[in-house]
Amino acid sequence: MRTKSIAAAAALVLALSACAESGGGSPAAPSDVSKDLTTEPVTLTLAYTDDPPTQALVDAFQAKHPNITIKGQQTPFSDYVKSIKLSMASSTPPDIAEYNPGAMRSLVPAGLIYDLTPYEKLYAWGDGFPASSLEVLRSNKDAKQYGTGGLYAVPGALSVLGVYYNKSLATSPPPATLAEFEQQLAAVKKGGTTPFSLGGLQVGGFQLWNALYNVLGDEGQYRDWVYGKPGATIETDGAKQAARKVVDWVAAGYIPSSANATADSDAQANFTAGKSAYLITGNWAADAIGKAMGDKVGFFLLPQVAAGDAAVASGASVAYSISSKTKHPNEAAAFLDFMRSAEAAKVQFDTGFMPVNNDAAITATGLRADIAGEFKKVVAADGIVPFPDFASPNMIDRLTAGTQGLLSKQSTPEQFLTSLQESWTQYHG
Amino acid sequence: MVDAGTRRRRWTRRRLVGLLYLAPALLVYLAFAIWPAIHTVYLSFLHWDGILPATWAGLSNYTDVFTDSTLGPALWHAVVLILFFAVIPCGFGLLMTALLQGGVRGMTTYRVIFFLPQVLPLVAVGITWRWLYNEDGLVNHGLSAVGLGGLTRAWLGDYDFALIALGLIGTWAMSGLCMVLFLAGVQKVDASLYEAVALDGGGPVRKFFAVTLPALRGEITIASVITTIAALASFDLVFVTTNGGPANRTTVPGLLVYRLAFNESDIGRASALAVVLTLVVIVFVTAIRLATREKA
Repeated sequence: MRTKSIAAAAALVLALSACAESGGGSPAAPSDVSKDLTTEPVTLTLAYTDDPPTQALVDAFQAKHPNITIKGQQTPFSDYVKSIKLSMASSTPPDIAEYNPGAMRSLVPAGLIYDLTPYEKLYAWGDGFPASSLEVLRSNKDAKQYGTGGLYAVPGALSVLGVYYNKSLATSPPPATLAEFEQQLAAVKKGGTTPFSLGGLQVGGFQLWNALYNVLGDEGQYRDWVYGKPGATIETDGAKQAARKVVDWVAAGYIPSSANATADSDAQANFTAGKSAYLITGNWAADAIGKAMGDKVGFFLLPQVAAGDAAVASGASVAYSISSKTKHPNEAAAFLDFMRSAEAAKVQFDTGFMPVNNDAAITATGLRADIAGEFKKVVAADGIVPFPDFASPNMIDRLTAGTQGLLSKQSTPEQFLTSLQESWTQYHG
Repeated sequence: MVDAGTRRRRWTRRRLVGLLYLAPALLVYLAFAIWPAIHTVYLSFLHWDGILPATWAGLSNYTDVFTDSTLGPALWHAVVLILFFAVIPCGFGLLMTALLQGGVRGMTTYRVIFFLPQVLPLVAVGITWRWLYNEDGLVNHGLSAVGLGGLTRAWLGDYDFALIALGLIGTWAMSGLCMVLFLAGVQKVDASLYEAVALDGGGPVRKFFAVTLPALRGEITIASVITTIAALASFDLVFVTTNGGPANRTTVPGLLVYRLAFNESDIGRASALAVVLTLVVIVFVTAIRLATREKA
């Protein structure tokens, strides 16, 4: 039983040790980069976890390049993040792998994934990929500072964090300012409904703080901190205000007292069942929420303090990296390049994500149109920022536990931020 | 007559044959239990992220483990869990043994019902209890039904009660094991001992303390050791119910090992913590064995 789990953990550690120590020691860049693809039949392997959109993107790419076969190997997320590093370090790694910063950063200094800068120049990726979506995939050579340096992955679909609202419970139209939103929250509460559903057990809690920080804090300071820029700090006025807002909302009864025992999927289920008026999460949930609620649901970005301020929101991407051991780097790069095409944009949008190429024409109605419209605003303002758990390997645990402290009224905003900064300093300091 | 040399040769051959019989099990045990354990100790002296070449760390992983502010609370939580995983279940098991030993009708049914939690995987147990402890789960419905509606809360998300709620799941899961062990133990007690107590005018309480309890010494030791290890090395139950939350109120060392190894890719520190946890388990098990040892 539990002794078994220790034995299992030990066995895993052993497995880790058995296949390791194969990495080189310096980042790798491809040579002989070219847009000319082979006409011979070739097969590439692709390791991924997110589907949609991966398989649909592969199908669309193969339709365009009939001689290139991409063989997908899907792994559930929790196993993917544990195994991908090892399979990339093995002697027969997949040619392309879905990028996960936490799990795969150490592949950068080990030289196991390519620095894609040569392809970026060759294909002029600055055109068609939003700058902020590439920025977050850049890293320096020892993978301690991000947003700068080589490019190690390319986005294949984008997402953004925002507020879903139940149109029959949240009466008024989407608010234009944060103050207006708070008035709406008060009105909903007065009407007898708890305004939010919140998955404090998992990521929902800190995403609420994150969304508030996007609005109340300084975008540049936040980016510097997540990217690990020397001297950056999270102990800023904006972050404090955001944490205090969470505390205030708990005190006002806007957040259910059971939040800390609620998983994200449960929070989402509560929202779609009409138990709350609002839910803060990303557009990855759009498909399920739309199916459950039909035209009774809408989406807006958490509004800025003053109407007309540039939109800022956290977002992430499903991105792909190329193994430095691949025999077909040019064909793999062509797959990455395909992500900014109009065909790919259609697939990305149809599978519930935001298209990488923001100029691609999109027709949609209802919830999906809401999300697309709001997303365009953020991209136009170059306001997509990375999620805070990106900052250091154990940040997600600090964020989750810290927000739980705020939600249960046991810790102060200052304590919460100090704990985050402690983790940051351990890794970057 | 067989001379001494031949005898020794025969004896050696018999020993070799014996070893041969042992070999398959021994090899599996060495490869999957002993070797990983030794290797974990080795890894605990390295700085290693699982990919880049490892570097020698000396004792620095251990100093990190001991200076980390999360270890103290986690160890304390594990000790609290001993109460719920070991002490209460053993007490409950003894009580049930005293009540059931006279050969109650439907004995098998009782045994099956109480042993059932042992058969279920802890992950399934955890998920089920998450529902039961839910804001509108069975536990809160029950409280409301008896007029204690004021107490209802999402138990596993409550800052003060989460660890206790978690512990009670362990109590539920472990009690059956203790009871079945003890019930099996009393079967071997000579009935004449009970008769002797009865002749001396002793009642059921006297019978229990004079005969049953001493007779169960071995079973009590085994049950305490198993359940104490379960408490100290708990991981799966915590992982699926609270994941250490809320605000790190239910973290246990096993969970920290997992986070270090798989979230933070810090294999060295994870191994160091695993070694420390193993030593803690050994200390507790030794203490239990000393405490329950028969006085010579």
